[in-house]
Amino acid sequence: MKAMNRRKLFSVSAVLAAASLVATAIPANAAEVGVTASEIKLGMTLPMTGTASLGYNKIPGAAKAYFDYLNANGGVNGRKITLIVKDDQYVPTQAVTKTNELILKDKVMALLAPLGTANVKAVASSVNPAKRGVPVLFVNTGFSGFADVKKYPTTYSILPSYIMEAKIMGKYIAENLSGKKVGLLYQDDDFGSDALAGFKAAGTNFTVKVPYASGSQSAATAAGWITKFKAAEVDVVILFGVTSASLYMLATAAALKYSPQWMIDSVGGDSTTLKLAGVPAGVLYNAIGFSPVPATTDLTDEYVKLFSDIYAKAVPGSAFDLNVLLGMNSAFMTAQALKAAGQNPTRKSLMAVLNTKGSTLFNSALSPVGYTGTSHVGLTGEWVGKYSPTGDLLPIGGIYTTYTTDSGAGAVVKSTYKRPAMPAKGLTN
Amino acid sequence: MRKQRFIALLSATALVTGIIVSIPVAANAAPACDGKSPVQTCVGLTSDGAPYMMMVPANFGGTVALYSHGYRYNIDIPAGIPLIGGYKVTNTPEPVPGGNSAVAQYLFSQGIAVVGSGFARQGWNPDSAIATDVELIGVFKAQFPATTKVIAWGSSLGAVITQGLAEKHPELISAAAPMCLADNVPAELTMAGDFLWGLKVLFDPTIKAGNYSAGAAGNAEAYGDLIKVFTVMGKLQASLTTNAWPDTSSPTGKALAAGGVPPRSALLLLGLMAGLPTQSAHFDSISGPAGALKLSFPLAISPALAILENGTNAAALAILATQDVELQAGGAIFDNTKTDYAARIDNERVVFNAALSGNTVIDALLGAISPANPGAPRAVGSAAAIAKMNALHSNSGKINVPTILMTGVADPITPAGASQRVVDAYAEQFAKEKMAAFAAYKSTKTYVAPVNKLLMLWNTTPGKGYTTFDAAGSPITSTPAATGTNHCNFSTAQLLVVAKSLVSTSATGKLPSGGAIVTAGRKAGNLVLDPEFHAPLLKYYNQ
Repeated sequence: MKAMNRRKLFSVSAVLAAASLVATAIPANAAEVGVTASEIKLGMTLPMTGTASLGYNKIPGAAKAYFDYLNANGGVNGRKITLIVKDDQYVPTQAVTKTNELILKDKVMALLAPLGTANVKAVASSVNPAKRGVPVLFVNTGFSGFADVKKYPTTYSILPSYIMEAKIMGKYIAENLSGKKVGLLYQDDDFGSDALAGFKAAGTNFTVKVPYASGSQSAATAAGWITKFKAAEVDVVILFGVTSASLYMLATAAALKYSPQWMIDSVGGDSTTLKLAGVPAGVLYNAIGFSPVPATTDLTDEYVKLFSDIYAKAVPGSAFDLNVLLGMNSAFMTAQALKAAGQNPTRKSLMAVLNTKGSTLFNSALSPVGYTGTSHVGLTGEWVGKYSPTGDLLPIGGIYTTYTTDSGAGAVVKSTYKRPAMPAKGLTN
Repeated sequence: MRKQRFIALLSATALVTGIIVSIPVAANAAPACDGKSPVQTCVGLTSDGAPYMMMVPANFGGTVALYSHGYRYNIDIPAGIPLIGGYKVTNTPEPVPGGNSAVAQYLFSQGIAVVGSGFARQGWNPDSAIATDVELIGVFKAQFPATTKVIAWGSSLGAVITQGLAEKHPELISAAAPMCLADNVPAELTMAGDFLWGLKVLFDPTIKAGNYSAGAAGNAEAYGDLIKVFTVMGKLQASLTTNAWPDTSSPTGKALAAGGVPPRSALLLLGLMAGLPTQSAHFDSISGPAGALKLSFPLAISPALAILENGTNAAALAILATQDVELQAGGAIFDNTKTDYAARIDNERVVFNAALSGNTVIDALLGAISPANPGAPRAVGSAAAIAKMNALHSNSGKINVPTILMTGVADPITPAGASQRVVDAYAEQFAKEKMAAFAAYKSTKTYVAPVNKLLMLWNTTPGKGYTTFDAAGSPITSTPAATGTNHCNFSTAQLLVVAKSLVSTSATGKLPSGGAIVTAGRKAGNLVLDPEFHAPLLKYYNQ
């Protein structure tokens, strides 16, 4: 039994108060998990190997490239950021194991950019970062549910929700492809459920819908999908899945000389990845695509220019693509949030920043994030583009027209958001 | 006597299981002791006829460890039944877990005596077993008046008895350790019933799955169910390569087969809705063989294999415990007329979406087992029997004495959620004790902090995965079960961590804490004290 009288309590408090005054003057003696006088440790799990890793396995290198750049320029309040990366192979049970390692063994301050709806949900239920108070920053999934603060209080979305994207696709179809027979390929889980909800909200009707179970995508299954679309004689095929699904579909279509009007979702439509994996640029040509961030070939964009320069020096020979840009953007936002979280950032102060100032953080996307105390919705808009003869996604007419909407019944409208100028050298420290 | 010589002498004796002392035939008579040294063995019968064994070292220091054994089937099992055939009902006393001589040696070396009974009745028996333990404590104290402290520990159903003893008679014990704790009977048999019912309605409608007859006819029905369930499991194992549903499948199952639903996905869904772990003795749902199946095996196949392994292990208990409790309650105790299986797997359908073959298949399966499908009739229990079952002893989870819980995170018979329920209950209890301490401070001006009375040791599975494959890429199932899996699958080192913790707690009144117990857990292998680990509660609690 411990007994402590009131006087002693007060004297201890006074000492602690004095100590905290001293502590605010120097970054030493930080008490938060993963934060020392010289370092902030962050952790990331995502598929680095396996079928689903295609393209997404560049995200850690991209984030590290930005953090290394930041560290070389003073870090965050004198602390360098260290990113620990673990391969979950896109298997939810692996994501649970690896996340446990990051939290319990590596003792990271926060989780950054985990990928995949099923993985993030598995971690939420089994590892329980919410109960532990561990921030889960900028999850690489557009599942709308992760914006729910009550259910996932420490999780922050970054991508536009799949519902939003489907609604924007639906609006484009209604305005530009009216009367065409449309087919839909979708991942048969929450990813696809969101898509179906978005298309329903947009009033899009499909001649045929082809679901595929996550992990089942292959050249053989793609041939089966094509058979179904051919049988339905659709004019337009929407690919609403991960990159590997798009890859197998487009590569198999090229081999079978099947060429409908393609429409590809943002997470499965990175042209650099698809081309490197063997999709001919000619197959991509004239396909319709969507993106929340500027075209990765658009060197007139100050973020694309800076980030591609940083990445080229950090990872020579690796192409700058959508996954790289998104990875660096998440690292850039993380650095700002950590800076704003105080001289000695804590998990709580980091999340307080995101809840109160998150929507004002600098960000390369052409729409802001929608963080508030009651919603952790990510980016709120996308622009529509077409793939060029070289297979690059470019804005239609050369002008970014960003559409914004919500994950509910709200209308899809043109965004009036004007992105603030990038801070000098892409640094806010 | 020097410690080394003491241990050598013990090793020379046939310890625990080998000792034969004639048990007095008269219940409640004084125990018969052999008077041997360094360990004296006494045997006897409690007033209800439970045989017991006491083993008291020459250096007895006044503390005795009372062990309560786990579930033993209440009927003999004919030799022809797979896996458990040839079992004979026994009430052999078990004074230490599994007769583990290393554990006994450790306790003796500390001057601690061990005692345990075989209980008068097998099957689900906490009501009578707690009374037996209470009596046994009195018998021991009468025989050895130097007794000052009693440590209680037990495994599985024995853990229920131990926790029950601590809840009802905290004045009798100084510390408790329920290991691989079972949950209360409605929760345990709901898990069993859900899985059995699922097997019946999809894979073999001739499985009775409860509502067994009384007497020999009921035994025959239970034996029949055991054979049918093991047969179905064997066919499901074969189906993993053929994708063919068992030929015994119901019309509902055959319709699903015709719709292209893989039987492995159906099996997995049954396991998930019942709450069986998705890691088993040999399947981690993480690892895959080199080559084309590296990703798809853990994603799509391994979870179903884990359910196959866990379900087979759990099936015997599910059938025989249901039959036993039905006999005690006087009728059918499983009723799923109001169970919403879709809600049960709301989270799992996302996490295991690939293994369940996607939302379309999941929805087809849920439709097949919904009340709307007359081909999958729900089980209707007897209200009176259910009331009687609910009146059997149940634990609230209240912690009265310093308590150490240890359980495997993938135990298929007593799921980790049973221990989690106690952890959750104690969190509320501790918060109330804190509030009471603050309230007392207002009047006394002295703050007396409540003392933690619960230590939870999670026996985790190997983090890096443990499924192994042969050169052809086939999974190997001949290796020992991985730590954290199977029922009460504890190593001697892990049992010793509990034993040592009990001894120190009994002596000091305080549970071990800090780096020492963390290190001890790590050295024993995969024992984790993570206070934020949260095992899923049994599905019964989420209805």
